Amino acid sequence: MPKFSLLLSSCLVVAITTPIPAQAVSSTSAIAASESPASAGLPSVQALLSKMSRDATQINYRGSFTYQNQTSIELQSFRVEHWIENGIEHDRLLFLNGPERLIVRDGQPVDCKAMGDKLLQGSFSQIGKSLIKMDQLYQFEIRGRERIAGRWSRVLQVIPKDPYRYGYFLSIDEETGLVLKSWLIDENARPLERYQFIALELNPDIEQLKAQVLPRQHKAVADVTPCNPTELTKPSAWQVAWVPPGFLFAGQRQLSSGQTMLMYTDGLTTFSIFLEATTSFIPEGLGKRGATLANMTRLVVKDVVYRVSVVGEIPVAAAAKIAQNITGQ
Amino acid sequence: MSEQNRPQILAESISALMDNQASELELQRILKACDQDADVKATWSRYQIVSASLRGEQVSVIGSDFAARISAAIDEEAALVAQPTAVTKKSQQGWFYQLGRVALVASVAGGVVLGVNQMTVTDPVAGQIASNAVVAPTPIEPAVSLPSGINSPAINTRTVAVQTGYETRPQENRRVTFQPLQANTVISDEEVSRYVNQMIKAHSDNAAMNSGQGVLPYARVIITDEE
Repeated sequence: MPKFSLLLSSCLVVAITTPIPAQAVSSTSAIAASESPASAGLPSVQALLSKMSRDATQINYRGSFTYQNQTSIELQSFRVEHWIENGIEHDRLLFLNGPERLIVRDGQPVDCKAMGDKLLQGSFSQIGKSLIKMDQLYQFEIRGRERIAGRWSRVLQVIPKDPYRYGYFLSIDEETGLVLKSWLIDENARPLERYQFIALELNPDIEQLKAQVLPRQHKAVADVTPCNPTELTKPSAWQVAWVPPGFLFAGQRQLSSGQTMLMYTDGLTTFSIFLEATTSFIPEGLGKRGATLANMTRLVVKDVVYRVSVVGEIPVAAAAKIAQNITGQ
Repeated sequence: MSEQNRPQILAESISALMDNQASELELQRILKACDQDADVKATWSRYQIVSASLRGEQVSVIGSDFAARISAAIDEEAALVAQPTAVTKKSQQGWFYQLGRVALVASVAGGVVLGVNQMTVTDPVAGQIASNAVVAPTPIEPAVSLPSGINSPAINTRTVAVQTGYETRPQENRRVTFQPLQANTVISDEEVSRYVNQMIKAHSDNAAMNSGQGVLPYARVIITDEE
């Protein structure tokens, strides 16, 4: 029998290396669908999105999750800690595989409503009437309940209505609004990346979280964009003449690397544009790692050559078209 | 199963297998046929190429002698140990024996495929070849189709086979695949990887702020020694 299984694992080389069989997607929906009769009184999609965006930032938790993307068969695991102190959010993300690495993010006010939150919570008052609502961009469907990491969650299927964004399967914790499972789904219904919690502990001892000191080789402190950094509603110095419908400008930042970064979101999907003047050779083309795409081009404005990159979890069609429509002022 | 119906039944089974719908029995039948009949192998290979093309994946084709070469290499090595037994290749009890050998050879091939996939995936030339390679440069008889990113001519089975895809090397994940706009672009993969990874890190802040999923997007970040 070992021989047989060896053979099995070999004649189907292609099948194995294909990242994740499409069947996996349908089986999930089958599970979800089969449970839907038992889950009467489902919350509305809007309530669920609001809960996901708002409630999850207001709780203290420590959890573990796994992450996998299409370019690597490897399953990575992480421990995440989130707590609030004096109205400020603190996040720790520890890589549990390979060398000890840690990402630290401090300083986000808990009542900060970033552009993505405004879109998800449907609080459009500041944005104006011309706004495209999220249900014109995606088709949302609640697919019942699912148990993840020992907790009950609502399964939300999100299908894009145009070719400029990907779809999602989100399992949202019924109690906390935390996304316990998230799949990013491409236009051929294949998962591009998958996150899934395996354990979640609510209200851990904050003092203990703060006190822990681990010797770490690699530590990165995440940049935190200040809440509503500017009153800008469009980038300064740059014209982005086309972005996919529903994407809004979410802020601009000057990076230490010298790049100007422009941020966009439609509420669920994000992309960023990076611009920098350069005199060195610019490799033009498509870079890809996991679900993230980087469309790299060059742009000449008033005899200055700029390196322009559109980076995000978006299809090539979107990234290329955005890049073509960037001009200087 | 009459001789006439056989190919058609097999074709249906292969089709089912492509859709993950094949029964245990069908699977065994295909595997057996795969071993005996080059046409079956070619059909399987062709289906994979078509399916990969339909999904918009890059396709590269490697000649059937790829497996044969590995097989030959293994025979050579095995001879050192098993010389006295002097196995006759066409012995009657050979069905299971052959199966086992093919399994071994092919599982090595599987290892190579995974290993190579990780190693060469950033090669811009390979990417370029692969994207145009539906019409393969090598004369195809029954061919084995392999996943994208494999630069077939450069494969050195001996060295590559040592590197299996099963090793845990998380930092390998930092590799960025790069498809240059112009085929003749000369640029180091390392430089492109570094640049893209730095942007992905900055972009993760945007994603963590604006996609409603908390800090999950930071899992995409690669932290390097420089920090």
